[in-house]
Amino acid sequence: MRRLLGQPLVVFLLSLFALFSLTPIIWAVLISIKQPADAFAIPPKLFFEPTFRFHYEIWAERRFVEFFANSTIIALGTVFISVPLGTLSAYGLSRLESKMARSYLMGLLVIRMFPHILLLIPFFIVARSLSMIDTYPAMIAAMVAINQPFTVWLMRSFFLEIPRELDEAATIDGCNAWTTFTKVILPLAKPGIVVTSLFSLLLAYNEFLFALILTGSNTKTLPVAIAEYGGEDLNYWSLSAAGAIGIMLPILLFMLFFQRHLVRGLTIGAVKG
Amino acid sequence: MASSSARAYPREKSLWLFVVPSALVVLGIQLYPVLYAVYLSFFDYHIGQSQPRFVGPDNYLALLGQDRVWASLRTTVILVASSLAVEFALGLLLALGLYKLTRGARLFSTLIFVPYLITPVVAALFLRWIFAARWGLADAVIASFDIFPPDWLGSPVWAFVTIIVADVWQFTPFVMLILYAGLQGMDEALLEAGKIDGASGPRLVWHIILPCLRPQILFVLAIRLMDSFRTFDSIYVLTGGGPGTATETLTMYTYALAFKQLDLGRASTLGVLTMLIVTGLTLMIISLMYRRERGAF
Repeated sequence: MRRLLGQPLVVFLLSLFALFSLTPIIWAVLISIKQPADAFAIPPKLFFEPTFRFHYEIWAERRFVEFFANSTIIALGTVFISVPLGTLSAYGLSRLESKMARSYLMGLLVIRMFPHILLLIPFFIVARSLSMIDTYPAMIAAMVAINQPFTVWLMRSFFLEIPRELDEAATIDGCNAWTTFTKVILPLAKPGIVVTSLFSLLLAYNEFLFALILTGSNTKTLPVAIAEYGGEDLNYWSLSAAGAIGIMLPILLFMLFFQRHLVRGLTIGAVKG
Repeated sequence: MASSSARAYPREKSLWLFVVPSALVVLGIQLYPVLYAVYLSFFDYHIGQSQPRFVGPDNYLALLGQDRVWASLRTTVILVASSLAVEFALGLLLALGLYKLTRGARLFSTLIFVPYLITPVVAALFLRWIFAARWGLADAVIASFDIFPPDWLGSPVWAFVTIIVADVWQFTPFVMLILYAGLQGMDEALLEAGKIDGASGPRLVWHIILPCLRPQILFVLAIRLMDSFRTFDSIYVLTGGGPGTATETLTMYTYALAFKQLDLGRASTLGVLTMLIVTGLTLMIISLMYRRERGAF
């Protein structure tokens, strides 16, 4: 293989794909800081006077601050409910060896693959009958629901890495199941909790389908708001590009900061199944 | 283990207590709603109607007789199969490239990883600005070669291609990352042995690397299968299922039934049918995984 593909060729191919990966983002950034007249000049203008007018306008005058707050409330609400519940359950399941535990985990996996749209219909009906459309709890409940099986599976892989001998030693030292968990195991599972929280946050921040139906003018999240823009009207392009970049940046920077954890979370599932 | 089995019984009971809160949540806000949807699939129920009306299997029979359902199934299968194939091939190639790279692998993996972290709706918008008729970057580039660009989002075939490109753009990094991690965990002695035996290039990949990566391969295929089957965001933003119904998948059609035609009964029915298909396919992959664990490969 070393003879077939030299380093320069590998670097070239990887650079090519990196370019493919980054071009749409760079293009959008350019649209967002160009005047519409420059943005749609053909051939594309490479030299122009940048403007941050659209970035200012979308956040200050188009309620994006509000939508960002809604997104944050829903995402954090999801994390604070889903992760503790999932962590408890994952610990129990990681220490149980019975057939029943195995079947329960399989059941969760089956639930994980249900089409979201199938879940959305009953959620919509129930939320509507309880007048809970356009409220935070409805949206958070939906996010916790679709997030829970994944959270349990992911956290369980982390608990499996903590040797059971520790549990047994704690029991001999007089800990009951609860104190074994809180005093001995939980502190060791911190990295797993970080990873699981990051994924839950990402999932809830990115969610579109549920937000489209379950949120309204009081709770509208960023993805729903941005999807309403982007119509064919060219005047809105720069504005919606600014909005799109604004949605991407906070979560992207946050996640890149925790990249190591994310990668670990993604790969641990592949090994532990 | 013999010593711990003496207190296994009380221990097991208290361990189940840890599971209870989460299990209640799963039962209450996930399993119950799905069962309710299954129940609704046997009813005629439109938004605004006061009471569902029982119609037995009528919804199923009506949908299975509809061309639009079969067309959306076909669209879904083609989209899933082609994006999976491209993502896997590219992801494997990139992972091998990263593995071979003597330095800079971290930088490249970070750069390529970025699209995976973007909110799907935003990612779809980015690609829309690439493929938009006349004003998009793709058209500008193609036109500069004096070629008349295709109507990316307006012609059925190109709209398809655009959606696949969007999926590939966003999810190849995921495939790459998992396979790359698998490569890093691989026993290098196997590779060396293969090389001493005279294997090189593609043969090394086929006979040594791919079998070693089997768990990772099944994992990415299972995850991507489940997720791409329910792709909604990118199609909604890029084509809305159009032109006509050319890119309408099962999920898109279910959405249209429920929230445009307001027919919640039929929408539930189509959702249930989709669930059966996905569950069947994914269980197939999972059973493959477990066969490997039992040693049968």
